Amino acid sequence: MRRLVAGTAVGALFGVVISWSGMSSPEVIRHALLFEQSYLYLMFASAVATAWAGLALLRRRERRSVFGGETLTYGRDPVERRHITGALLFGIGWGVADACPAPIATQLGQGVGWAVFTATGAAAGIWLFLRRRAIETEPASEGHGTVTAVGPAPVTATGR
Amino acid sequence: MEHHQLAWYVAGPVLGLCVVAVRLLFNARLGVTGGFSEIVGRLSRGSLRFDWRGWFAIGVLLGGTLFALPAGGPDFHGYGWLTETFTGGGRWVIPFILAGAGALIGYGAKASGGCTSGNGLSGNALVSPASLAATATFFSTAIVVSFLIEAVI
Repeated sequence: MRRLVAGTAVGALFGVVISWSGMSSPEVIRHALLFEQSYLYLMFASAVATAWAGLALLRRRERRSVFGGETLTYGRDPVERRHITGALLFGIGWGVADACPAPIATQLGQGVGWAVFTATGAAAGIWLFLRRRAIETEPASEGHGTVTAVGPAPVTATGR
Repeated sequence: MEHHQLAWYVAGPVLGLCVVAVRLLFNARLGVTGGFSEIVGRLSRGSLRFDWRGWFAIGVLLGGTLFALPAGGPDFHGYGWLTETFTGGGRWVIPFILAGAGALIGYGAKASGGCTSGNGLSGNALVSPASLAATATFFSTAIVVSFLIEAVI
Protein backbone atom coordinates (compact mmCIF):
# COMPACT_ATOMS: atom_id res chain seq x y z
CA MET A 1 0.00 0.00 0.00
CA ARG A 2 2.80 2.44 0.89
CA ARG A 3 4.39 1.63 -2.46
CA LEU A 4 1.22 2.53 -4.29
CA VAL A 5 0.80 5.79 -2.40
CA ALA A 6 4.45 6.70 -3.05
CA GLY A 7 4.07 5.84 -6.74
CA THR A 8 0.93 7.94 -7.02
CA ALA A 9 2.56 10.87 -5.20
CA VAL A 10 5.65 10.95 -7.42
CA GLY A 11 3.35 10.60 -10.44
CA ALA A 12 1.20 13.51 -9.28
CA LEU A 13 4.26 15.75 -8.84
CA PHE A 14 5.47 14.70 -12.28
CA GLY A 15 2.03 15.41 -13.76
CA VAL A 16 1.73 18.85 -12.16
CA VAL A 17 5.14 19.86 -13.51
CA ILE A 18 4.42 18.43 -16.98
CA SER A 19 1.21 20.51 -16.99
CA TRP A 20 2.77 23.63 -15.50
CA SER A 21 5.59 23.56 -18.03
CA GLY A 22 2.99 23.63 -20.80
CA MET A 23 3.86 20.16 -22.13
CA SER A 24 0.19 19.15 -22.14
CA SER A 25 -0.43 21.67 -24.87
CA PRO A 26 -0.01 20.35 -28.42
CA GLU A 27 0.80 23.93 -29.49
CA VAL A 28 3.77 24.12 -27.12
CA ILE A 29 5.11 20.75 -28.30
CA ARG A 30 4.65 21.72 -31.93
CA HIS A 31 6.47 25.04 -31.51
CA ALA A 32 9.34 23.13 -29.91
CA LEU A 33 9.52 20.50 -32.67
CA LEU A 34 9.51 23.28 -35.29
CA PHE A 35 12.42 24.96 -33.42
CA GLU A 36 10.30 28.01 -32.68
CA GLN A 37 10.80 27.71 -28.91
CA SER A 38 13.79 26.45 -26.96
CA TYR A 39 11.92 25.79 -23.70
CA LEU A 40 11.41 22.03 -24.20
CA TYR A 41 15.06 21.39 -25.02
CA LEU A 42 16.34 23.44 -22.09
CA MET A 43 13.91 21.75 -19.70
CA PHE A 44 14.68 18.32 -21.09
CA ALA A 45 18.44 18.81 -20.85
CA SER A 46 18.25 20.18 -17.31
CA ALA A 47 16.01 17.26 -16.29
CA VAL A 48 18.47 14.69 -17.66
CA ALA A 49 21.42 16.53 -16.08
CA THR A 50 19.70 16.68 -12.69
CA ALA A 51 18.69 13.02 -12.83
CA TRP A 52 22.21 12.05 -13.89
CA ALA A 53 23.76 13.99 -10.99
CA GLY A 54 21.22 12.62 -8.51
CA LEU A 55 21.78 9.04 -9.62
CA ALA A 56 25.55 9.54 -9.43
CA LEU A 57 25.12 10.70 -5.84
CA LEU A 58 22.98 7.67 -4.93
CA ARG A 59 25.56 5.45 -6.53
CA ARG A 60 28.47 6.96 -4.61
CA ARG A 61 26.65 6.53 -1.33
CA GLU A 62 25.72 2.95 -2.25
CA ARG A 63 22.12 3.55 -1.32
CA ARG A 64 19.59 0.74 -0.99
CA SER A 65 16.05 0.98 -2.32
CA VAL A 66 13.48 2.20 0.17
CA PHE A 67 10.87 -0.48 -0.52
CA GLY A 68 12.92 -3.45 -1.71
CA GLY A 69 16.00 -2.99 0.49
CA GLU A 70 18.30 -4.18 -2.29
CA THR A 71 21.37 -2.27 -3.46
CA LEU A 72 20.34 0.07 -6.26
CA THR A 73 21.24 -0.94 -9.80
CA TYR A 74 22.02 1.31 -12.74
CA GLY A 75 21.61 -0.97 -15.73
CA ARG A 76 22.52 0.14 -19.25
CA ASP A 77 21.22 -1.56 -22.36
CA PRO A 78 23.09 -2.10 -25.63
CA VAL A 79 21.41 -0.75 -28.77
CA GLU A 80 19.20 -3.25 -30.57
CA ARG A 81 17.26 -2.87 -33.77
CA ARG A 82 13.96 -2.52 -31.89
CA HIS A 83 15.19 0.60 -30.11
CA ILE A 84 15.50 2.34 -33.48
CA THR A 85 12.42 0.94 -35.23
CA GLY A 86 10.23 1.42 -32.16
CA ALA A 87 11.48 4.98 -31.69
CA LEU A 88 10.74 5.71 -35.36
CA LEU A 89 7.10 4.68 -34.89
CA PHE A 90 6.95 6.56 -31.62
CA GLY A 91 8.41 9.69 -33.22
CA ILE A 92 5.82 9.65 -36.01
CA GLY A 93 3.00 9.39 -33.48
CA TRP A 94 4.54 12.10 -31.32
CA GLY A 95 4.97 14.49 -34.25
CA VAL A 96 1.38 13.97 -35.42
CA ALA A 97 -0.42 14.08 -32.06
CA ASP A 98 2.07 16.49 -30.42
CA ALA A 99 1.72 14.49 -27.23
CA CYS A 100 3.66 11.62 -25.70
CA PRO A 101 2.46 9.36 -22.87
CA ALA A 102 2.91 11.75 -19.91
CA PRO A 103 1.11 14.62 -21.65
CA ILE A 104 -1.62 12.24 -22.82
CA ALA A 105 -2.22 11.39 -19.15
CA THR A 106 -2.14 15.04 -18.02
CA GLN A 107 -4.48 16.02 -20.87
CA LEU A 108 -6.95 13.38 -19.66
CA GLY A 109 -6.57 14.70 -16.12
CA GLN A 110 -7.20 18.24 -17.33
CA GLY A 111 -10.39 17.14 -19.05
CA VAL A 112 -9.20 17.49 -22.65
CA GLY A 113 -11.71 15.40 -24.59
CA TRP A 114 -9.47 14.84 -27.62
CA ALA A 115 -7.00 12.97 -25.43
CA VAL A 116 -9.48 10.10 -25.05
CA PHE A 117 -8.77 9.13 -28.68
CA THR A 118 -5.00 9.36 -28.30
CA ALA A 119 -5.11 7.39 -25.06
CA THR A 120 -7.36 4.71 -26.57
CA GLY A 121 -4.95 4.38 -29.48
CA ALA A 122 -1.96 4.17 -27.13
CA ALA A 123 -3.67 1.51 -25.03
CA ALA A 124 -4.45 -0.47 -28.20
CA GLY A 125 -0.83 -0.18 -29.35
CA ILE A 126 0.48 -1.35 -25.99
CA TRP A 127 -2.06 -4.16 -25.89
CA LEU A 128 -1.01 -5.28 -29.36
CA PHE A 129 2.64 -5.30 -28.31
CA LEU A 130 1.93 -7.27 -25.12
CA ARG A 131 -0.19 -9.75 -27.04
CA ARG A 132 2.42 -10.28 -29.75
CA ARG A 133 5.12 -10.79 -27.14
CA ALA A 134 2.93 -13.23 -25.20
CA ILE A 135 2.35 -15.26 -28.34
CA GLU A 136 6.07 -15.24 -29.15
CA THR A 137 7.15 -16.36 -25.69
CA GLU A 138 4.29 -18.75 -24.93
CA PRO A 139 3.42 -20.78 -28.02
CA ALA A 140 0.66 -22.57 -26.11
CA SER A 141 -1.10 -19.42 -24.94
CA GLU A 142 -4.82 -19.04 -25.58
CA GLY A 143 -4.17 -16.33 -28.15
CA HIS A 144 -7.66 -14.89 -28.34
CA GLY A 145 -7.73 -11.79 -26.24
CA THR A 146 -11.12 -10.22 -26.68
CA VAL A 147 -10.26 -6.92 -25.04
CA THR A 148 -9.91 -4.28 -27.70
CA ALA A 149 -9.19 -0.60 -27.12
CA VAL A 150 -8.83 -0.39 -23.37
CA GLY A 151 -9.65 3.06 -22.19
CA PRO A 152 -7.59 5.26 -19.91
CA ALA A 153 -6.93 4.44 -16.34
CA PRO A 154 -10.03 4.21 -14.20
CA VAL A 155 -9.45 6.33 -11.16
CA THR A 156 -11.99 4.37 -9.17
CA ALA A 157 -9.79 1.39 -8.32
CA THR A 158 -9.14 1.14 -4.61
CA GLY A 159 -5.70 -0.45 -4.72
CA ARG A 160 -4.46 -2.87 -2.14
CA MET B 1 -2.49 30.31 -21.56
CA GLU B 2 -4.17 30.99 -18.23
CA HIS B 3 -1.08 29.94 -16.31
CA HIS B 4 2.42 31.21 -16.59
CA GLN B 5 4.77 28.55 -17.85
CA LEU B 6 6.98 27.36 -15.02
CA ALA B 7 10.61 28.40 -15.68
CA TRP B 8 12.49 25.63 -17.49
CA TYR B 9 15.25 25.68 -14.89
CA VAL B 10 12.68 24.81 -12.24
CA ALA B 11 10.56 22.35 -14.25
CA GLY B 12 13.52 20.36 -15.61
CA PRO B 13 15.29 19.75 -12.29
CA VAL B 14 12.02 18.76 -10.57
CA LEU B 15 11.31 16.21 -13.31
CA GLY B 16 14.90 14.99 -12.90
CA LEU B 17 14.40 14.61 -9.16
CA CYS B 18 11.30 12.48 -9.85
CA VAL B 19 13.59 10.12 -11.79
CA VAL B 20 15.97 9.99 -8.81
CA ALA B 21 13.05 9.43 -6.39
CA VAL B 22 11.77 6.45 -8.39
CA ARG B 23 15.27 4.92 -8.38
CA LEU B 24 15.61 5.42 -4.65
CA LEU B 25 12.11 4.19 -3.80
CA PHE B 26 11.65 1.30 -6.22
CA ASN B 27 15.06 0.74 -7.84
CA ALA B 28 13.38 1.24 -11.19
CA ARG B 29 13.23 3.59 -14.15
CA LEU B 30 10.57 6.23 -14.08
CA GLY B 31 8.41 5.71 -17.16
CA VAL B 32 4.87 6.65 -18.02
CA THR B 33 4.62 3.99 -20.73
CA GLY B 34 5.55 1.37 -18.13
CA GLY B 35 2.60 2.59 -16.08
CA PHE B 36 0.22 2.51 -19.06
CA SER B 37 1.48 -0.96 -19.89
CA GLU B 38 0.83 -2.18 -16.34
CA ILE B 39 -2.73 -0.83 -16.52
CA VAL B 40 -3.42 -2.28 -19.98
CA GLY B 41 -1.90 -5.64 -19.04
CA ARG B 42 -3.93 -5.96 -15.83
CA LEU B 43 -7.16 -4.75 -17.40
CA SER B 44 -6.83 -7.22 -20.26
CA ARG B 45 -6.71 -9.94 -17.62
CA GLY B 46 -9.75 -8.47 -15.86
CA SER B 47 -7.79 -7.17 -12.89
CA LEU B 48 -7.57 -3.74 -11.28
CA ARG B 49 -4.72 -4.61 -8.94
CA PHE B 50 -2.13 -2.32 -10.49
CA ASP B 51 1.38 -2.20 -9.05
CA TRP B 52 3.13 1.11 -8.26
CA ARG B 53 3.83 1.71 -11.96
CA GLY B 54 0.13 1.75 -12.76
CA TRP B 55 -0.48 4.08 -9.85
CA PHE B 56 2.38 6.29 -11.00
CA ALA B 57 0.58 6.77 -14.33
CA ILE B 58 -2.71 7.44 -12.52
CA GLY B 59 -0.78 9.96 -10.41
CA VAL B 60 0.41 11.75 -13.58
CA LEU B 61 -3.22 11.99 -14.69
CA LEU B 62 -4.24 13.32 -11.26
CA GLY B 63 -1.39 15.84 -11.53
CA GLY B 64 -3.11 17.19 -14.63
CA THR B 65 -6.35 17.47 -12.67
CA LEU B 66 -4.65 19.18 -9.73
CA PHE B 67 -3.16 21.68 -12.15
CA ALA B 68 -6.40 22.32 -14.06
CA LEU B 69 -8.74 22.63 -11.06
CA PRO B 70 -7.68 26.13 -9.94
CA ALA B 71 -7.99 27.33 -13.54
CA GLY B 72 -11.32 25.64 -14.09
CA GLY B 73 -10.12 23.70 -17.13
CA PRO B 74 -7.21 22.92 -19.43
CA ASP B 75 -4.64 25.56 -20.28
CA PHE B 76 -5.33 25.42 -24.03
CA HIS B 77 -8.29 25.23 -26.36
CA GLY B 78 -8.80 23.17 -29.49
CA TYR B 79 -6.10 20.67 -30.37
CA GLY B 80 -3.13 22.28 -32.10
CA TRP B 81 -2.70 21.94 -35.86
CA LEU B 82 -5.43 19.30 -36.05
CA THR B 83 -8.34 21.51 -35.02
CA GLU B 84 -6.87 24.41 -37.04
CA THR B 85 -6.63 22.33 -40.21
CA PHE B 86 -9.73 20.16 -39.98
CA THR B 87 -12.60 22.52 -39.32
CA GLY B 88 -16.36 22.21 -39.67
CA GLY B 89 -17.39 19.07 -41.54
CA GLY B 90 -13.78 17.83 -41.69
CA ARG B 91 -13.48 17.45 -37.94
CA TRP B 92 -14.52 13.81 -37.96
CA VAL B 93 -11.05 12.78 -39.16
CA ILE B 94 -9.33 14.09 -35.99
CA PRO B 95 -10.33 11.20 -33.69
CA PHE B 96 -8.99 8.73 -36.25
CA ILE B 97 -5.71 10.62 -36.66
CA LEU B 98 -5.26 10.87 -32.89
CA ALA B 99 -6.11 7.20 -32.33
CA GLY B 100 -3.69 6.16 -35.10
CA ALA B 101 -0.95 8.39 -33.69
CA GLY B 102 -1.71 7.00 -30.24
CA ALA B 103 -1.32 3.44 -31.49
CA LEU B 104 2.10 4.29 -32.97
CA ILE B 105 3.07 5.98 -29.69
CA GLY B 106 1.98 2.99 -27.58
CA TYR B 107 3.43 0.27 -29.77
CA GLY B 108 6.60 2.22 -30.60
CA ALA B 109 7.32 3.11 -26.98
CA LYS B 110 6.93 -0.51 -25.89
CA ALA B 111 9.12 -1.78 -28.71
CA SER B 112 11.88 0.76 -28.05
CA GLY B 113 11.83 0.25 -24.28
CA GLY B 114 10.30 3.54 -23.23
CA CYS B 115 8.89 6.91 -24.17
CA THR B 116 10.07 10.46 -23.58
CA SER B 117 10.22 9.75 -19.85
CA GLY B 118 11.46 6.13 -19.74
CA ASN B 119 14.13 6.46 -22.41
CA GLY B 120 14.38 10.23 -22.75
CA LEU B 121 14.79 11.12 -19.08
CA SER B 122 15.49 7.94 -17.09
CA GLY B 123 17.51 5.97 -19.64
CA ASN B 124 19.60 8.93 -20.75
CA ALA B 125 20.36 9.83 -17.13
CA LEU B 126 21.86 6.32 -16.85
CA VAL B 127 23.79 6.99 -20.09
CA SER B 128 22.24 3.83 -21.51
CA PRO B 129 23.22 3.44 -25.20
CA ALA B 130 19.78 2.06 -26.12
CA SER B 131 18.08 5.12 -24.64
CA LEU B 132 20.49 7.55 -26.29
CA ALA B 133 19.83 5.92 -29.67
CA ALA B 134 16.06 5.79 -29.14
CA THR B 135 15.92 9.42 -27.98
CA ALA B 136 17.95 10.67 -30.95
CA THR B 137 15.66 8.67 -33.24
CA PHE B 138 12.31 9.76 -31.85
CA PHE B 139 13.31 13.40 -31.50
CA SER B 140 14.61 13.64 -35.06
CA THR B 141 11.60 11.71 -36.41
CA ALA B 142 9.11 13.94 -34.61
CA ILE B 143 10.95 17.04 -35.85
CA VAL B 144 10.90 15.80 -39.47
CA VAL B 145 7.22 14.86 -39.18
CA SER B 146 6.38 18.31 -37.78
CA PHE B 147 8.15 20.07 -40.64
CA LEU B 148 6.43 17.77 -43.15
CA ILE B 149 3.05 18.61 -41.68
CA GLU B 150 3.97 22.29 -41.73
CA ALA B 151 4.88 22.00 -45.41
CA VAL B 152 1.63 20.27 -46.34
CA ILE B 153 -0.98 22.24 -44.39
